[in-house]
Amino acid sequence: MTEHWSLHSTAGAANDPVFVGVGELKTGKFPERGFVEALTRVAIQAIKDAGMVPRDIDTILLIPNLHSAADQADLVFSRMVEELGIHGSCKSSFMVHSGGSTSDNAVRTAHGLITAGHAKNVLVLQCERWGSADLNEMITMLSKNGIPGEWELPTGIQFNAIGAMITRRYMYASGSTPEDMASICVTLRKWANLNENAMFYEKPLTIEKILSSRMVADPLHAYECPPMADGACAFVITNTENARKRGISNAVRLAGSGGCVSHYCLSQEPDQAVLGWPLAAERAFNQSGWGPQDADILEIYDSYAAVTAIALEGIGICPKGEGARWFAAGTGDPGGKLPINTNGGLLSAGHTGVGGGTALLVEGIRQLLHRAPAKRQVENCQRAIIGGTGGSYMDAQILLLERTQLGA
Amino acid sequence: MNIPKIVSDFRAGLASDELLVQTCNACGKPNMWPRYACPHCQSENLGWTRSAGQGSLHSFCVLRQGAPEGFEDDIPYAIGVVKLDEGVQLAVRLQPEGTEDWSAYQCDDRVEFVGKDGARECAVFRKSSD
Repeated sequence: MTEHWSLHSTAGAANDPVFVGVGELKTGKFPERGFVEALTRVAIQAIKDAGMVPRDIDTILLIPNLHSAADQADLVFSRMVEELGIHGSCKSSFMVHSGGSTSDNAVRTAHGLITAGHAKNVLVLQCERWGSADLNEMITMLSKNGIPGEWELPTGIQFNAIGAMITRRYMYASGSTPEDMASICVTLRKWANLNENAMFYEKPLTIEKILSSRMVADPLHAYECPPMADGACAFVITNTENARKRGISNAVRLAGSGGCVSHYCLSQEPDQAVLGWPLAAERAFNQSGWGPQDADILEIYDSYAAVTAIALEGIGICPKGEGARWFAAGTGDPGGKLPINTNGGLLSAGHTGVGGGTALLVEGIRQLLHRAPAKRQVENCQRAIIGGTGGSYMDAQILLLERTQLGA
Repeated sequence: MNIPKIVSDFRAGLASDELLVQTCNACGKPNMWPRYACPHCQSENLGWTRSAGQGSLHSFCVLRQGAPEGFEDDIPYAIGVVKLDEGVQLAVRLQPEGTEDWSAYQCDDRVEFVGKDGARECAVFRKSSD
């Protein structure tokens, strides 16, 4: 049994951090939409959604981009503080980075800063321009993330090869068929078809279409590989006392989190069909006091279908080996028993690099705030499991979020 | 670029068709990939043991497009993760069974070390002959 770690804040306490606003721009290919332009627009959207003005923000946590080192430097050196007009009043602006799981670690960072009193109103801000970047440059860059240059780069490994090996091991261990794996992508597409901000909002997808698309990295077909996209999203966290003063009666809080960094490069992972999820889940549920059976929605990182199936099993949503068949049965579909990746996920809303996980997190917060568009808002949504992972699926990160009444 | 000694030693092994496993002279445990200090006991007294080159194939894939820069002419090629009988694991290239054919491979197949992959600084494995 894992050691019990308590959060240093409780529901309703003055210092308990609460999510109060979200913002998001359309995901896809938008070469005319500038980096700083998108960041500015999405920041203002999230701040307004929180009922605030930019000067209320005292801390900015930046999610990195992967498309440009120069744009990254703009972020790191506080450009957004000037762009938002909060220079002087802003106490701190800095970047958090752990690849695909960054948003989970950004939440932990914000939670700690707020609980301890270092920050009051935190803006978490993300923009990526993968969809407009040079594809070959991005492929080469992605053959260096989570891949040791001296040991593994000489094999010619890159991101789709990593996804393909995990997929093959998962299919072998679980007995899942190509049809089962493709059904995961189809579920995600059904959700994307309900999300006007998704890259593939207007494009349906079928199992037949996936399995007849070209083989990119056996056993992955082209339509099972994540589409690189431009995107931007943001959210605001404050403390409960401040939220109450502002008349906010319903918000979202972090019930607990758990993580496991299981490896750096994929070759060192003992079981590619398991990864770090079981340990991360044990730690998260131990801290939160609620379990997988209590979730109303799931928002789990899905750069490849197998990654999500493996996560579902590790989190305890379905029995071991049943993750892909859970999808094939329609369990996670719109109208299904347990909605999953209700924005369409990375595979159908678009893979915005480090931002893919942030978009899933923002969707989870939006659903719990009951602010999703009616056609995809999950009724009476009270609890969400957020799952993130980065690099070569080096870590499994779980956030357990719950809707909370502040009694303002 | 200055190549660290653990890298040049490992590559020198490959060049003479030997798969070397770093072994701690203090605690005796094998380390893969080679480390600067033993992750088990933190000793910097590290040596090498020649692997028997036998193991099992944890997983693999065949990359057919989207090669990283410099690998375009290798396409298609198969990358695998091998668990050596010595208890460590590594990423390798897999030898095709026919022309560009890896269809005979399956997860958990017994595989064996063949040698270095031409100009590439990585090991090649194939299905075990026994």
